Amino acid sequence: MSDAVSAARPLAPASHRPAFKWGPVFDHAILIAGAAFMLVPVFLAFMTSTHDAVTVHTGGVQAWPGGSLIDNYATVMFDGLGFSGAVNGTTMMLNSLILGLGFAVGKIVLSMMAAYAIVYFRFPLAEFAFWAIFVTLLLPLEVRILPSYEIVQSMGLINTYTGLIVPLVASATGTFFFRQFFKSVPDELIEAARIDGAGPLKFFRDILLPLSRTMIAAIFIIMFVYGWNQYLWPTLITTNEEYFTLVRGIKQIIQVWVGSQIPEYGQAMALAVLAMLPPVIVVVVFQSWFIKGLTESDK
Amino acid sequence: MKPYGIAAGLAAGLSLLSVNSAFAVTEISWWHAMGGALGETVNEIATNFNAAQDEIVLTPVFKGTYEETLTAGIAAFRAGEQPNILQVFDAGAATVIGAKGAVKPVQDLLEDAGASFDIEDYISGVRYFYADSDGKMIGMPFNSSAPIMYYNEEALEKAGVEAPKTWEEFEQIAPKLKQAGYIPLVQSHLTWEFTENFFSRHNLPFATNNNGYDGAEGTKLLVNTDGLKMMFAKLAAWKQNGHFEWYGTGWSDNQTPFEQGKVALWVGSSGSFGGLTKSATMPFGAVPLPYWEAIAGEDGYQSFIGGAALFAMAGKSEEENKATAKFFEYLTSPEVQLMWHKSTGYVPVTNAAYELAKQQGYYDETPQAEIGIQQLNMKAGEWTRGYRMGFYVQIRDVMNREYGKLFTGETTVDEAFKAIEAEGNQLLERFAKTGS
Amino acid sequence: MNKVRFGHSIVPYLFLLPQMAVVAVFFYLPAGEAVRSSFFLEDPFGFSSTFVGLDNYADVLSSTEYRRVAIFTVWFTVLVAFFALAIALLLAVKADAVLRGAKTYRTLLMWVYAIAPPVAGLLGILLFDQHVGPFVDIASWFGWTLRIGVNYYDTAFAMITTAVWYQVAVNFIFFLSGLQSIPRAVREAALIDCRSGLRRFFTVTLPLLTPTAFFLLVINVTYALFDTFGLIDPMTKNEPGNNPVTLVYKVFLDGFRGNDLGGSSAQSVILMIVVFALTVVQFRFMERRVHYA
Repeated sequence: MSDAVSAARPLAPASHRPAFKWGPVFDHAILIAGAAFMLVPVFLAFMTSTHDAVTVHTGGVQAWPGGSLIDNYATVMFDGLGFSGAVNGTTMMLNSLILGLGFAVGKIVLSMMAAYAIVYFRFPLAEFAFWAIFVTLLLPLEVRILPSYEIVQSMGLINTYTGLIVPLVASATGTFFFRQFFKSVPDELIEAARIDGAGPLKFFRDILLPLSRTMIAAIFIIMFVYGWNQYLWPTLITTNEEYFTLVRGIKQIIQVWVGSQIPEYGQAMALAVLAMLPPVIVVVVFQSWFIKGLTESDK
Repeated sequence: MKPYGIAAGLAAGLSLLSVNSAFAVTEISWWHAMGGALGETVNEIATNFNAAQDEIVLTPVFKGTYEETLTAGIAAFRAGEQPNILQVFDAGAATVIGAKGAVKPVQDLLEDAGASFDIEDYISGVRYFYADSDGKMIGMPFNSSAPIMYYNEEALEKAGVEAPKTWEEFEQIAPKLKQAGYIPLVQSHLTWEFTENFFSRHNLPFATNNNGYDGAEGTKLLVNTDGLKMMFAKLAAWKQNGHFEWYGTGWSDNQTPFEQGKVALWVGSSGSFGGLTKSATMPFGAVPLPYWEAIAGEDGYQSFIGGAALFAMAGKSEEENKATAKFFEYLTSPEVQLMWHKSTGYVPVTNAAYELAKQQGYYDETPQAEIGIQQLNMKAGEWTRGYRMGFYVQIRDVMNREYGKLFTGETTVDEAFKAIEAEGNQLLERFAKTGS
Repeated sequence: MNKVRFGHSIVPYLFLLPQMAVVAVFFYLPAGEAVRSSFFLEDPFGFSSTFVGLDNYADVLSSTEYRRVAIFTVWFTVLVAFFALAIALLLAVKADAVLRGAKTYRTLLMWVYAIAPPVAGLLGILLFDQHVGPFVDIASWFGWTLRIGVNYYDTAFAMITTAVWYQVAVNFIFFLSGLQSIPRAVREAALIDCRSGLRRFFTVTLPLLTPTAFFLLVINVTYALFDTFGLIDPMTKNEPGNNPVTLVYKVFLDGFRGNDLGGSSAQSVILMIVVFALTVVQFRFMERRVHYA
């Protein structure tokens, strides 16, 4: 938030009387309502994670803390969840982290390069390439999951991080995002670079890359969370318990034979709350970074 | 393909090494859909099996829901990566059995391995559900249950009535239960409890071609028939006058009001008592699923099982198949079956395990646990073996959709069953084409 | 629109190569397989198949249920995209405007994005539970008997609310960063020129936000169509029954859950054609109005 804007802002609410300014109050009211709409469910998830299964089963979500906080969290963090005993909350978190990071980094590198080629170069295939990549938005992995499995298998990538990550990267969101951003970068920059005699690689490295820092941060958040939250693909592609991810762990806890047993809702919620933490940390850390970057790029 | 070839060579080399270093240990895998506490019991069985002998190492892997497990198994089979054992649920059995060559019939598997096999060892209602039309067992019944009726003791006492044996009796007592302030009847699974098992309990044909056992070609649903239509006309009428309530297709949405003590009678699964013991706010008991005396006569027939079976996937070495057979023998031993029965609520699949449970006095402590087995041991009929229909998952979806419309007043019984018949038969026809 | 560009050289090809390779292997190959199998009825294990020409398409397009799902999908997409964008824009503008606590609001509003879709769906069903859901209690204060899973429209309402709730956070992040990248000089000029906040928003801020808004529009339509899958699955409890579902979920139901490869492939191809047409329209007509720097 820049100071100049802040200082100028009180001029804004135009009203006929110079009395009390309702504008900011109204703004805060909307923001508080918005924050409540967004956060109450998260709060309830946390409260619910402190209760035992039967309470949640019979009483639904809980608004007040219960007595099973330590029990639930210790169980999901440290008790083995699978057969081999090699997998618990901590190892699943590590796998999700690898998946989230690998996916986000891979996606950013690939899509930034592709978008750079499409936006900054005049070459016959530019339009075709854009559409060829863009079309991948039109068919989600869930829909082409069986043929994808066969391809991954034929490459010997079952039960590998590569097989887990790379097929997910084949989608256009990142490319589209960078295309939008590059298009809004002022032309003067590239003209100046050309006058300085900078080639395309130098321009990319010295000017575009630093300028995109904030956008990279934003897309990193989005992509990290997307990778982190994958369920169906990891379930299909890994049979080795060492590769189990958190979201899969959550499903495993709540999926019991309905009627005969009560799902461990408290534990599932505890794992869900834990699964929320790394992305939240990423969001919080990167948000200050990209906001700082943004104010610096103010011209 | 290349990199995989190298990897496979490498893996083969490595496994050769490990074979030499240890004894000839055979590794087999088992993909299942048992989450939560059930998954823990599965793991316990596998651990015990591995500890009981040193030739075979069994690794169970949780693969998500029933549908996800089946699809993962299919995808793996196409890629030559299938597990030795795949758990397949009731509605998906036709897909697996219909694909000739996808599985090795469990009867062949056991006999080839030199194990003794007698289908008569299995509980009557379980025996033929996963068998072919000649009565050869294809899939090993694993987690099996029957739909039974639970009653709220307080409600019956207050209304001064007994739990009904037949639907005619239910019609007699329903007004009294309502008057006592209860919702008389709720169920949790309209397709399994009130459709499939309607045909079984009354020994009526469910589909042509011997309930679909004789092949997919030309199989047609027999749902648009007087018996089933009468059942749903009654249910709709009961709902109208407050004798029956429906809370959607979700199982627990319908179970919850019973646990809360608002409902007098609830049709659930024979395994439900384990959860109910923890969550029900009142004392409860259980009786077999009622039937129409007007259709079935004096006593009802046995019911179809619900749940899933274990299939031995084809394309495995003889050595691994032998190991799988060893595990199946272990799994069906009375002690293991009893442990499974006690800790999960599913019925034991063999007579020997049932006898053992009776001997140990298990049903004296928990009489509700026996109702399901008793129901599965009732008299058998021409149409009580099971049913085999392709794309049955989608057919169930169609039924559920039409039943939902029926109970929300969007359609009539006649229209609903016409739609189920038409769409169901179209699905069956499509499935038949996949096999030729 | 016309950017200054570098001339023709090998560089762009090298930059494009990695993404094109991944897309070709992991998108076009499987998608091609989907197109092929849409003309067959195939045993899922791959033992046998029958060529049926366009039968799969005919079966899908003549089904009244498919039409009902398609109509619901249109409504669902429009409502989810509209509310998710509108609420996020409102919150972003306000978070950009307030002096105190701006950072706190920002942090709080981004949180939800971190929740995994299956968990969001689970929260949705717990909150909207027929028997113990707090939202059902709240609705009953207004005389509304909310019955998720029984009443088609109530279920639709719960799904849309959950889907909007889940998407607002992402839109908020993008709108806020878009707002903040509006140069200081422009803001100050706008403040002097235009005293009405609302007018200033529509004449200055919104046009400058169009690149972000256009991107988000495409992303939100894609989200509502495709990525709500993870929410719908737990909310229908894997038993769709008479509940509303979207087209992609139906593809999943028939293909992944029901092993009808031919029918579900035909549905994917239809979906692809429709969404492709929609995207071309979005690019041809809407992007003209987008104001790039």
